[in-house]
Amino acid sequence: MAASITITPRAQPRPRWLGWFIRRYPLGAVAGLAILTMGIAAASATWLAPYDPLAIDFLAMFSRPGPGHWLGTDAFGRDVLSRMIFGAQTALLVGFFASLAGATLGGVIGVVSAYFGSTGDLVIQRLADILISFPLIILAMAIVAILGTGTVNLIAAIALSFVPRAEIIVRASALGIRQTPYLEAARALGAGHWRIIFRHMVPNVVAPYLVILTAFLGQAILLEASLSFLGLGVAEPTPAWGLMLSGAAVDFVQRAPWMAIFPGLAISFMVLAFNMLGDALRDALDPKLRT
Amino acid sequence: MTRYIAKRFLLMFPTLVAVAVLIFVLVRVVPGDIVELRLVSGGMFVTKEVVEKERIRLGLNKPIWQQFVDWMVGMVRLDLGTSMWTGAPVSQEIAIRLQLSLQLAFMATLIAVVLAVPLGALAAIRRGTWIDYAVQVFSVAGLAVPSFWLGILLILFLLTYFQWLPPLTFTSLWKDPRANLLQLIWPALAVGYRYSAVATRMTRSALLEVLREDYIRTAWSKGLAERVIVRRHALRNALLPVVAVIGLEFAFLIGGLVVTEQVFNLNGIGKLFVEAISRRDYTLIQGLMLLVAFAYVAVNLVIDLLYAWLDPRITYG
Repeated sequence: MAASITITPRAQPRPRWLGWFIRRYPLGAVAGLAILTMGIAAASATWLAPYDPLAIDFLAMFSRPGPGHWLGTDAFGRDVLSRMIFGAQTALLVGFFASLAGATLGGVIGVVSAYFGSTGDLVIQRLADILISFPLIILAMAIVAILGTGTVNLIAAIALSFVPRAEIIVRASALGIRQTPYLEAARALGAGHWRIIFRHMVPNVVAPYLVILTAFLGQAILLEASLSFLGLGVAEPTPAWGLMLSGAAVDFVQRAPWMAIFPGLAISFMVLAFNMLGDALRDALDPKLRT
Repeated sequence: MTRYIAKRFLLMFPTLVAVAVLIFVLVRVVPGDIVELRLVSGGMFVTKEVVEKERIRLGLNKPIWQQFVDWMVGMVRLDLGTSMWTGAPVSQEIAIRLQLSLQLAFMATLIAVVLAVPLGALAAIRRGTWIDYAVQVFSVAGLAVPSFWLGILLILFLLTYFQWLPPLTFTSLWKDPRANLLQLIWPALAVGYRYSAVATRMTRSALLEVLREDYIRTAWSKGLAERVIVRRHALRNALLPVVAVIGLEFAFLIGGLVVTEQVFNLNGIGKLFVEAISRRDYTLIQGLMLLVAFAYVAVNLVIDLLYAWLDPRITYG
């Protein structure tokens, strides 16, 4: 332990951030609470769901919502409510990992590109400019075509389609820091490139990083639902909201409308919650990003 | 002005070439063999001979640089190769579906504009009232509701009350305008609502900014009616960024069409894309991605020209 870096405590006590956020952005706080609730429900799906989400019961096909099955059953007699609770697991898992991977990879590329500049930066920027000219879903679908379907590939496809978007935003924030005196000071003290990047630049782009991360979450869940709906995402019989809306839900929409109504409500509700939380976080953390 | 247009137009081409290179790299540098991937995903029993035959048929036995040159040379002649699935030229596959998708995109954009501009303006004028909040909730919901679900709900509604089902075949606008519009209005609504959300927010914030300007105060002090101030003085200036947003959304519309065409059983570009992906038809995927990129670049050009035309302060040189 030769290196001794003394960490001096902050001069001021941290403001009670959470309390301030709740008072200042009540809508965002409500959205956060809703997300937390859905997260807990998804995590305890095994205990919460009244039925096995995969259990086929041909005697109960297309049951109406009632005391036996609160939200009815689908074309295989599977309980819609149970499938929705397990579907929340899929949505949150895919959404979270895809957003995290996409924002992080894009963020790291953005910071490194901004720090080193020159030709590499130029090439990366042109590349990112081209890639953002494709709608997210087109990019994700093309990547699915290359990687194949399945949950892991789906996460990778959604994450990769986020990378150029994250890269551009984080790079823009990092560029501003590159010329600051304290970075000059760090360089003058003999700090290496990677030390400067990770100790001095990265902490400064945390705010935009968190903002895009939450913004991506809603989009990732929507993308997962869309791709699963198209048969390019999560495969049957895994419970996923987008998948629940495809096939039989459309064919039998008049006979069993509950099959189509409830999963769609769940998607809309969750995406809405993430968008509202994202907007509030953006206003609180980095008002400059407001469009 | 002519020089500016010509310059901007010519600048499109290097961008498109770069896009073409990127698409080729993206689609062709697949880990694993395209032929094997395609045959396996098709569930076929494959022997070495079959793979070899298929490879020759698709021109994949040539070295990769030769394939790249073929693709680039073909592009100059507007030849995007032949579909790996149907064997028909890619440009033909796209052409027969383009009319439907373009019409749908135009209708959806129109709906988005008709919804967004008045709603956004209303929200800005009545800022902080329940009208403002209602409009904001309406537009925030538009971003959260998946357009394919909205489509399913529309079908459910139409089925229940009008016994209407999405027709199996597409009726051209020139053949029977009534049937055509009746068929496309619902998917256009489902897509248009979603795309109005961003434009509504943009109209609101742009108008709020303009309403704070000095010349608006002057207009008020002159005693002009609110209607005149908003319509003639404020909205005109506020609409510039809205035009840009709507244009970009139009370019991105093909993404929204991908799912909606599936729901309404419309044989357009979006559905073709889904089919191309699930059949791993790489030449078709390349062609479609190029089309999407071209739409984006072309729309950007049009937006820039519109800007120069709408805003005399922008100089072109």
